[in-house]
Amino acid sequence: MKSSPPLARLPLLALFTAALLLVATAGCDRSASGPAATNESVAVASAMGGGDTTGYARATQPRPLAFPEDHGPHPGFKTEWWYLTGNLDAPGGRHLGYQFTIFRVATAPPDSGGSAGSNAPVQPASAASADTSTSRWGTRQFYMAHLAVSDVENERHYDFEQFARGAAGLAGAQAAPFRVWTSGWELVEQDATGDGDIFPLRVAAQAGGDSGETGGGSGEKSVTLDLRLTAAKQKVLQGERGLSQKGPGTGNASYYYSFTRLPTEGRVALGGDTLGVSGTSWMDREWSTSALGTEQEGWDWFALQLEGGRELMYYQLRKKSGAPSRFSEGVLVGPQGGVTRLSREDVTLDVRERWTSESGATYPAKWRLRVPSANLDLTVTPYFEDQVMSTSVRYWEGAVRVEGPAGSAAGSGYVELTGYGNAESGGEETVLP
Amino acid sequence: MPSRLLWKSSRRYLTRHPWLMGLSVLGVALGVAVVVGIDLANTSADRAFQLSAQRLTGKATHQVVGAGEGLPASAYRRLRTEAGYRASAPVVAEYVQVLGAGRPFQLLGVDPFAEGPFRPYVGGGGAGDSAGVDLGAFMGGEHTALLAAPTARAMGEAPGDTLTVTVDGAPRTLRVAGLIEPRDERARRATRNLLVTDISTAQEVLGMGGPQGGQLTRIDLILPDGEQEEKRAKQRLQQALPPGAQVRRSDARTETVEQMTRAFSLNLSALSLLALVVGLFLIYNTMTFSVVQRRPLLGRLRALGVTRREVFTLVLGEAVLVGAVGTACGLALGMGLAQGLVRLVTRAINDLYFVVNVQEVAVSPWVLAKGAALGMGATLAAAFPPAREAARAKVSVVLQRSRAESAAQKWVPRLAWAGGGVAVLAGALLLAPSQSIWVGYAALFCALLAAALLAPALVVAIARALRPVMEKLFGVLGKMAARGLRQSLSRTGVAIAALMVAVAATVGVGVMTKSFRQTVESWLQYSLQSDVYVQPPSLVFRRSTATLAPGTADTLAGVKGVAGAHTVRRVEVASSAGPTQLVAIAPGPETRDTYRLKSGNAGAVWPRFRGGKKVVIVSEPYSYRTGVGVGDTLRLQTDRGRAGFHVGAVFFDYASDRGVVTMSRATYDRFYDDRRTSGVALHAVEGLSADSLAKRVRTAAPPGQKLVVQSSRGLREASLKIFDRTFAITNVLRLLAVVVAFIGVLSALMALQLERRRELAVMRAGGMTPGQVGGYVTLQTGLMGLTAGLLALPLGMALAYVLIFVINKRSFGWTLQLEASPGILLQAVFLALVAALLAGAYPAWKMARENPAEAMREG
Repeated sequence: MKSSPPLARLPLLALFTAALLLVATAGCDRSASGPAATNESVAVASAMGGGDTTGYARATQPRPLAFPEDHGPHPGFKTEWWYLTGNLDAPGGRHLGYQFTIFRVATAPPDSGGSAGSNAPVQPASAASADTSTSRWGTRQFYMAHLAVSDVENERHYDFEQFARGAAGLAGAQAAPFRVWTSGWELVEQDATGDGDIFPLRVAAQAGGDSGETGGGSGEKSVTLDLRLTAAKQKVLQGERGLSQKGPGTGNASYYYSFTRLPTEGRVALGGDTLGVSGTSWMDREWSTSALGTEQEGWDWFALQLEGGRELMYYQLRKKSGAPSRFSEGVLVGPQGGVTRLSREDVTLDVRERWTSESGATYPAKWRLRVPSANLDLTVTPYFEDQVMSTSVRYWEGAVRVEGPAGSAAGSGYVELTGYGNAESGGEETVLP
Repeated sequence: MPSRLLWKSSRRYLTRHPWLMGLSVLGVALGVAVVVGIDLANTSADRAFQLSAQRLTGKATHQVVGAGEGLPASAYRRLRTEAGYRASAPVVAEYVQVLGAGRPFQLLGVDPFAEGPFRPYVGGGGAGDSAGVDLGAFMGGEHTALLAAPTARAMGEAPGDTLTVTVDGAPRTLRVAGLIEPRDERARRATRNLLVTDISTAQEVLGMGGPQGGQLTRIDLILPDGEQEEKRAKQRLQQALPPGAQVRRSDARTETVEQMTRAFSLNLSALSLLALVVGLFLIYNTMTFSVVQRRPLLGRLRALGVTRREVFTLVLGEAVLVGAVGTACGLALGMGLAQGLVRLVTRAINDLYFVVNVQEVAVSPWVLAKGAALGMGATLAAAFPPAREAARAKVSVVLQRSRAESAAQKWVPRLAWAGGGVAVLAGALLLAPSQSIWVGYAALFCALLAAALLAPALVVAIARALRPVMEKLFGVLGKMAARGLRQSLSRTGVAIAALMVAVAATVGVGVMTKSFRQTVESWLQYSLQSDVYVQPPSLVFRRSTATLAPGTADTLAGVKGVAGAHTVRRVEVASSAGPTQLVAIAPGPETRDTYRLKSGNAGAVWPRFRGGKKVVIVSEPYSYRTGVGVGDTLRLQTDRGRAGFHVGAVFFDYASDRGVVTMSRATYDRFYDDRRTSGVALHAVEGLSADSLAKRVRTAAPPGQKLVVQSSRGLREASLKIFDRTFAITNVLRLLAVVVAFIGVLSALMALQLERRRELAVMRAGGMTPGQVGGYVTLQTGLMGLTAGLLALPLGMALAYVLIFVINKRSFGWTLQLEASPGILLQAVFLALVAALLAGAYPAWKMARENPAEAMREG
């Protein structure tokens, strides 16, 4: 049977779960694992990726999102993330891209004897005798975090990955005051009012160097992120009032909202090189239980911040045939926050160039993206090509430059590409059989 | 040409004396076997321990340990989140008993998310089945465990089955969540006795959970390479850790644990050498005999142009042959012996020190090479003097036996002088200000050698003294026997020395064991003054750090019929003097008398001790080992950081050769957060017997908690049983030395009597009846045995003295009372006599039956 590569972020997450299991139980350390180890995950993926949704909450219909609660975790759903990307300028004309994401994954539904909240201890299921003290380590929730910085000037991409259980204070998420964290990496509401407004938001993470991790491209180098984000615009509910349908069938959807323009200040340290930075970030919040249809192969996801105050989000799901899926969709946010939903038909996406990674996977490397209804004709080019995440599951996530007709500067953004791995060569991505 | 002729004669000689050569080979073989067996048993135990340490340590370079037992899990959270150090993994580990497996398993609780870099074997081979562990169940508090696939097969367990483990006596169930398929032999061994669980499961099973994340056994770390980087990382970590916690190299623990058994295995090795030393006398005796017997032949050979060098080579070559065959047999025998010995060694280590599973004898080529070198070396060394003597044989002169003997007699004073010299050396070694056990043993072996060198002189003296007695008792035969002893001194001297050394060794070891037991018994008598002792079952008898379920101590103190109770807590802490066993006692009124002070003023110490002051008392072995004495300040790692404690007294204690530091519970509670207890001692009210109280306590035990409830008598008996078990191996060694000695005497006497065929034939021809000849031979061998036995007594006592006051003191640090029971001494003399008589039986029988005419013609 031909392997079908993963799809979009949702199945990506399922795969993460599978890969994670591998990392956890096979105990491969990053440096030793590489592609060979991820290949081993096939069986795990089949064990885990079956997608048994029994007992989990599903995103079946639009519902009013409530804040601050919905900033926090939704342990009843299988997967969830707090996803930050951004383009930053540093003195001397240096440009940096960054990605900082914390994923939450449930290993079992909360009512299967597990915990209700992410940090609540689990009551032992077995009838242990009364004098057995309860451990605060038991949990059905774990967290994974990805951190990447793209140094455009040197065309270097640094990425790191972290796993932690949602227990014993090692990782977790809370709505008010807002805080999401894994060991030493966190996303935290700075004024700690807990009033539902999570801004100003602090992103703090240090990786590599003497934190004891090794990361892709970093060598011995450490990467530190210390950023302060404010919101220039209100949150945008994606899809139908926050319900984003990803595949056929009720419940194959997520709850999804975004902050599309977050002015960002702070510093980024690459090794001993500390840079004061300022720029714009984008935050996606999404939680769901079930994945897409099986005929879909991957996705190209665009989050573009345009000059003049507009933002464009568009994801195009690709079918195995290469054709775009009808569930592809997007949103155009106006300077004042006005929202226009975009469907597959509203957008034309053409790949203009391609790039082949060292491991042999070929990614699109330049697009022409047109939204005729909004009078948009954009050329999207990665700041540099190799922005592949060398994490347990490989995907391309990179800072991009946006240009208008005749090469006029039109903005910056982030693109995510999944499903481009070459299954046969065992190179680029973890694969599902 | 000459050399071919030589070897032919040599072969002829060896084949014509198969018994003699066979016994020599056997002597070498046994000596080598005992040495190799003990060595293999020791190294196997070592290897098994290292393996288990490695499997626990994995790739960690360092670890964080708490001041006492474990450390709070919050330390790990701070380390990971605040200090942001992610090359760290929490570990909860303990030995548990697995029902139906018949051996303890290591329960290893890990966080799968942190494990990656540390213990690669945990996930095994990446086979599809083993990787498909349900992480939700594993981490979600369902009490599941991973088991090595071969182990599971052996136990008939499959994924989904339930295992029952007992922890501190309480049963817990674990579901087998998956199997670890070991990738290679190393992984197979590493995982054999392992139960891998999630850290939450381990905490709950071991009762280490708690509101702030509970307790961890330790935190494993991988620190960066390079001195600077390591130092920087350490500093960074230290800031996030609680005051009591320490970062140390991960092999530090392995080292300290190995040190615990060092003295133990060293003593076993030394005792095993004893068997070889006895074997050495045997070789010497045989080779000497063969040379003496062939003296005429050697003389003729020399006349034929054979050089001294060739003669020397010939004799040494024969020794090489005997040594090689004996050593080869010894190695094979040793490997077999090791199978039995390893069980004894393992049991002793498990009783005394720590849990170790030794399931197979690791046959190391190094040990075999060492054994072979020892065997060959000893043989050649023993054959050297006779070979030189042979080379000195004068050309063509057929020496008369009488002249050979008178030459030997001339040697007697010289040997005696040499013996005196060696004895002085032994004394000097004993007096040397050293704590080395090896120096102690060197002195011991010097003493043996000195005694052996002095033996001929003493034999002459004793034979002379006994002659009138023998004459009175047995008439002319007795007189002849006594005189014969002296006249054939070149042979009898060595045989008697060998027997004496062997018997002395049994006396020495026997007296030492007896004294030790007596001392322990009386110590138990006064230290076990409560009526009933309660503790959770523990896998290590002497070093129980197991804990009672919370509240158990109070429940038991409240049992009707309990007049008083005191509690004991045993933990491991770090101190300025190295890892230390700390005992916290809540003193009852009787506590004071249960400690006999070696130094320190009882009147001054106890009030301060009981008052919760910063005072500790240390046991004698601890004081000896660390040099900490009364008036010193001992710095202990506590949960409040390092703290200095005044050492108020040193007390006698035979419970632990590592020694203990004892403080009052009040003091302990001030400095440590641990509130658990390891055991309770109860006093019965007047009129209630200890046994009836024990019965009551058993019924009062909380359900699910298995308790070991023992009356003081029961505990005393159990302790002595352990003691006897520990010394089982010593007794085996002693026995083996006796066997070697017996073979030595047998061969020496046989050689002696067979050589005297002609002499005896002359006696027959002169009118002696066969019975008289037999009686003569028996009398003479009996006399030799008696002589050896008598000589062995003072030597044995000297050995016992060295063993008790030098070796034991240096090995374990305790003072034993020397107790020599007349029983042991009489037994020794009896043993020598019987061995000699048995050895003489065959020659006596044979000589008596010999046809004198034939014997004279041939001789």
